Amino acid sequence: MSSSILDAIDRIVAGNRVYAQQTSEQDPNAFKEWNKGQSPEVLWIGCADSRVPETTVCNCKPGEIFVHRNIANCVPADDISSASVVEYAVTHLKVKKVVVCGHTKCGGANAALADADLGQTLNTWLHPVRELRRKHKTELDKLPDDDARSLRVAELNVQQSLEVLRLHPAVKRAINERGLSLHGMIYDIGAGQLRLLEASGVKKTNGLWSPN
Amino acid sequence: MSGEPPSNPKEVRKYLQQSHDRIFESNRKWASEQKAKHPEFFEKLAQGQSPDYLWIGCSDSRIPAEAVTGLEPGEMFIHRNIANLVCNTDLNVMSVVNYAVRHLQVKHIIVCGHYGCGGVKAAMTPKDMGILNPWLRNIRDVYRLHEAELDDIPGDNDKKYDRLVELNVIEQARNVIKTAAVQQSYEEKGFPVVHGWVFGFNDGLLKDLNINFEGELEKIKKIFDLTKTE
Repeated sequence: MSSSILDAIDRIVAGNRVYAQQTSEQDPNAFKEWNKGQSPEVLWIGCADSRVPETTVCNCKPGEIFVHRNIANCVPADDISSASVVEYAVTHLKVKKVVVCGHTKCGGANAALADADLGQTLNTWLHPVRELRRKHKTELDKLPDDDARSLRVAELNVQQSLEVLRLHPAVKRAINERGLSLHGMIYDIGAGQLRLLEASGVKKTNGLWSPN
Repeated sequence: MSGEPPSNPKEVRKYLQQSHDRIFESNRKWASEQKAKHPEFFEKLAQGQSPDYLWIGCSDSRIPAEAVTGLEPGEMFIHRNIANLVCNTDLNVMSVVNYAVRHLQVKHIIVCGHYGCGGVKAAMTPKDMGILNPWLRNIRDVYRLHEAELDDIPGDNDKKYDRLVELNVIEQARNVIKTAAVQQSYEEKGFPVVHGWVFGFNDGLLKDLNINFEGELEKIKKIFDLTKTE
C-alpha cells in the first residue's frame, strides 16, 4: 500500500477529531444526548452519490434524518434492504415524513438512458429504471438533450419509489393512523437546491401527499 | 426538529407543513452560504464526482458520514442500511460496491458501525420482527460465528452488544473483501483498501478496528479467490 493511499485515511481520521471537538465545544451535552437514543422525524431515501449528503445539504444536525442511500434511490418492491429500513423507521422510530430524493446528473439515471452493459449486478439493479425509460420513450424523445432526459428519468424514478412505498404495509398503516406523509424531491447538484415534485394521480395539498 | 406533534387534525396539518418547510428553508440557507464561501462550488460539482471513499454505514440518524469525517459534498460515496450489513445476495449493497469500485475507482471502503446500534440490539431480542427477520438474521449469524467469545463476556449485556457491534463490522468488512469487484481491482491496481471502524456516541470519535486488509484478503482468497476470470 502506497503512502499516498493511506494519507486519505489520515485526513478523515483528523476530520473526525475536529468534528468531535467542535461538536462538544458548541454543545457540551451533544454526545450525551445522542447516546440516549435517536428520534428522527424524517426518513431520507436518497442516492449514494457523494455530492448529495443529506444532512449537509438540508443543513440539519446529526439525529434529525434517518438514512438509506443506494444507487439511484431505488425502492424495488422485493428489496429487503430498503424494506427493512422503511419498517424500522416507520414502525419502530415512528418518523413523520418519508422523503425520496433524486438528483440532477445522476449516474444511475444517465446509465438508464441506454442499455450499455454495466455488469450483471448493476444491470439487474438498474433494470426497473431502464424499464421506466422504455415506458416513457415518447415523452423522453421530445426532450432537448440527455441532461434533460436523465433528469426526467430521475423524476419518474422518484415517483416509482413513492408508489412502492405507498404499498408498504407499515407505511399504509402509518399514513392512516398518524398522518405520515411521503414526499418526492429532486436535488439540483449545480445549484445546491432541493425542489419538491408534485405528486401525480393522488390527492394532495401543499405538496403533501395524503391517502384518499 | 423536536417537540410533541399536536393531536387535532388541523394542527397536525399545520405542524407537518411547518416541519416540511423547514427542510427547504435550511437547504436554501446552506446553498447560499456555500455559494458565498466558494462561488464555483456547485458548478464544479455538476461536472462529476470522483470520491476517494465508499462509506458503508448504519441508517442511524446520528451518524451522517460526511459530517463526522469532516468531508465536503463530492468526497464520499455513501450507502447506509440497517446495521451496516453487506450480504452477498443483497443486490442493493452489491450494486453500490460495484459502482464505487469499478466505475468510480474509490481508494478506500469503510464499513462503519456504531455502539448502541438499534439493529444489533433488535437482532439479539428473541422476537418475531416481521420483514426485519431475514435482515437481522445476518447479525444473529455473526453471533453464532463468535458465540464462544461473546458468551464469555461477563457482566451486563451492554458489553456483549458493544463487542457484537465490533464483530459485526469485521464480518461485514470480510464480506466486502469477498466480492469479485474488490479482489480484482486490488490485484490490478492496488486499491481499494477495506477498513472497519466503529463510531462512539460518548465522544464522537471513530475507532479503527485495525483490520489487516492484506492479511484478511490472503486468508479469504483460500476459499473465495475471485481474481481469476474465465
